[in-house]
Amino acid sequence: MLKIVTDSLSDITGDLADKLGVSVVPIYVRFGEKVYRDRVEITTEEFYKRLEHGPILPTTTQPTPNDFAEVYKKLAKETNEILVVTLSSKLSGTYQSAVHAKEMVGGDVRIEVIDSQTVIMGLGLIVASVAKAAKNGASLEEAAALVRSAMPRSHSLMSFDTLKYLAKGGRIGRAQGFLGSLLSVKPILTMKDGEVAPVTRVRSRAAGVDYLYNFVAGFSKIEGLAVEHATTPDEAAALAERLGKLYPREQILLGNVSPVLGTYAGPHVLSVSVLHGA
Amino acid sequence: MAQVHAIGGKDLREMFAAATKWLEKSAPEIDALNVFPVPDGDTGTNMLLTMRSSIEEAYRAPDNSISAVAEYMARGALIGARGNSGVILSQFWRGLAKGMDKKDTLDADGLVEALKGAAAQARTGLTNPVEGTIITVAADIAEAAGESADGGKKSDLVGLMKTVVSAAGDSVARTPSLLPVLREAGVVDAGGQGLYTLMEGAMRHLAGENEVDFKKPHIIISDIPTKLPQSLSAVDEEPYGYCTEFVIVGEELDPDDIRKKLEKKGQSLIVVGDKERVRVHIHSLDPGSVIHYATSRLGTLHQVSIKNMDEQHLDFLEMQKERLPVGDIGIVAVVAGEGLADVFTSLGVGAIVPGGQTMNPSTKDILQAVEHVAADNVVILPNNGNIIATAEQVKTLTKKKVSVVPTKSIPQGVAALLAFDYEANFESNIELMTRATSQVKSIEIVRASRAAKFGGCTIKKKQPMALLDGELITVADTLDGVLLKALSKIDAAHLSVFTIYYGEGVELAEAEKTSAAVRERYPHLEVEVVKGGQPHYNYLVSVE
Repeated sequence: MLKIVTDSLSDITGDLADKLGVSVVPIYVRFGEKVYRDRVEITTEEFYKRLEHGPILPTTTQPTPNDFAEVYKKLAKETNEILVVTLSSKLSGTYQSAVHAKEMVGGDVRIEVIDSQTVIMGLGLIVASVAKAAKNGASLEEAAALVRSAMPRSHSLMSFDTLKYLAKGGRIGRAQGFLGSLLSVKPILTMKDGEVAPVTRVRSRAAGVDYLYNFVAGFSKIEGLAVEHATTPDEAAALAERLGKLYPREQILLGNVSPVLGTYAGPHVLSVSVLHGA
Repeated sequence: MAQVHAIGGKDLREMFAAATKWLEKSAPEIDALNVFPVPDGDTGTNMLLTMRSSIEEAYRAPDNSISAVAEYMARGALIGARGNSGVILSQFWRGLAKGMDKKDTLDADGLVEALKGAAAQARTGLTNPVEGTIITVAADIAEAAGESADGGKKSDLVGLMKTVVSAAGDSVARTPSLLPVLREAGVVDAGGQGLYTLMEGAMRHLAGENEVDFKKPHIIISDIPTKLPQSLSAVDEEPYGYCTEFVIVGEELDPDDIRKKLEKKGQSLIVVGDKERVRVHIHSLDPGSVIHYATSRLGTLHQVSIKNMDEQHLDFLEMQKERLPVGDIGIVAVVAGEGLADVFTSLGVGAIVPGGQTMNPSTKDILQAVEHVAADNVVILPNNGNIIATAEQVKTLTKKKVSVVPTKSIPQGVAALLAFDYEANFESNIELMTRATSQVKSIEIVRASRAAKFGGCTIKKKQPMALLDGELITVADTLDGVLLKALSKIDAAHLSVFTIYYGEGVELAEAEKTSAAVRERYPHLEVEVVKGGQPHYNYLVSVE
């Protein structure tokens, strides 16, 4: 059976990964000389505690080709087809590592790597959808085609409190135009062509939450929906409750954004991701 | 992580070979930053070519001592220097090499000294050093390295290089605050960015990072408020002429004398070198006279390059189109007051037409602004009820597609501007912006120009009064008092933000006092105080 691999920026971790049968390669989070594997050696809560109270600002590092190769080799014992879906190659070298790792695996296992051009649950919903197809017997080609057709249907909207961290990390993409505003505004960003791109700005946190809700309400057919937060579980839960009017509440994935994203988003990011119907 | 306490010549060469590769990856992005001294878009490429020449020469060093390798690298940089930034970089290398002279290996103290020499040397050869460029970044690096060494903890070169890289990054981020042309273009200095990238590449190699192959340097982003690059051609209207570069090989050459002779022949003059070899870089309208002077009096010319910068500039403008923020939609706003103009500009307005209450602009004023904006589709925000009709007339006078979002006040204008959706087309944006105007209330506080009667109460001359969305609603004896009275007439249950723009007659301290009173009354709301500098209104308050 086809096996699916992704990285930890898909926000598919722990129980959800086990349930979907997806292998997750963790990205590294580094505080000074200490290096942690995302959600394996550091939780989102611990990360933000250190981000807000610790003296050192964290950085992130992509997995090495070897990290991917080890996962491929382990899976190659059970399958001869592996589909890897990574976060946007414009934000991280993870995709390159996944591609380079192919050469490190011998045997007749076929491996295809796809750059999803997105992050967090925008990627996670695509992976969840293809993982189900793999369980139902999809071939590597069918699954790859499914991922490619899902990519333009996947949208993430993120409400930030500040662009300070994003600008420092150099990942700001086209949202650069939102910097330097003389009014305090909360930017709403999305992923476009693999990069962080500006959508609009609102004046308050509440207006940001409303904007995310109205964004989801604009879709007539929703295949998958996720709400994520960094340090504000109550706010995320309240938004998921509201979204229950649009899509069955019990099917909405509620989770933490990766500390890797937290490095750039700061502690108060709130996001929705939608996979809409064709 | 491993510490490194001393490096030799081979290490130096390998570090900067890696750094050159690192620079290569972002050379096109650095080209795109280049607006000073001439926006010709070649800084990244020039620095890269200069470094390549430096590395090539490094292999010719007679031994592997740090002094020999550094000397050859400096020579290579000088021979191969291209453009302003390349020549300055070659001087940086010359300073570094001097600091490493007669040494076998380099330790942290030695590097600190070499960086100081490099920063000083980078300035020489320039007739008119400008801050906010690569020379400032070089100086900041040297200073940070010196402070780090004074702290006494750093004998580790990796740690020292990390300090250097971090200082370089901060320094690059500050360049727009030092050099207005950068701020106007919304970029950091390209040469400074290039130096930062080189230092970062060297540091990564020294630290033993093996992932460098899969990564890419990032361009420093400044969060200093910038004007967005709406109209790049306005940076400088003068013709640029020819970028003329060559190396003179001769005997008993005197760089200072050559500099003096060439000063009047053009701009951006750099003359560097020694008795046998002098590199000249100049932007001149008459390159022939420069070449003639050099060949007739001084010696033989090598690596002669003459480029038409007006052509380069056109290519550069083409390259810059991608960086323009909104693409095909531009916004024009009618605003009075320097503070408010800055607020609107910082939120993405392409052109400001000065005007407002009691100083309505003409159709022609607005038309000129519309034509000035680098976009074919233009939104006009009149921000005053009396200006909407004037703005509407512009539609018939231009080939551009123009739409007026009928904003009647500054708060409505800001609300409309913020509602702009980067993912939506022109028509949808007009709708979104128009809708946003109804979601904000505007309070205007102004002193009565004469005594009057209103709804049974008497207004004395100069007494503060409040208008809510253009209707007079209350008067009081003080500015604070009238503002609080006005706010009390609005149902605060569904509000979240008050923004108070204080006018030209109001001091910051006074505005802070007023806002403190508002915060005390409405503890659950965000209250922001912004300098508006508007005439006429003491306070403009946005309630949303």
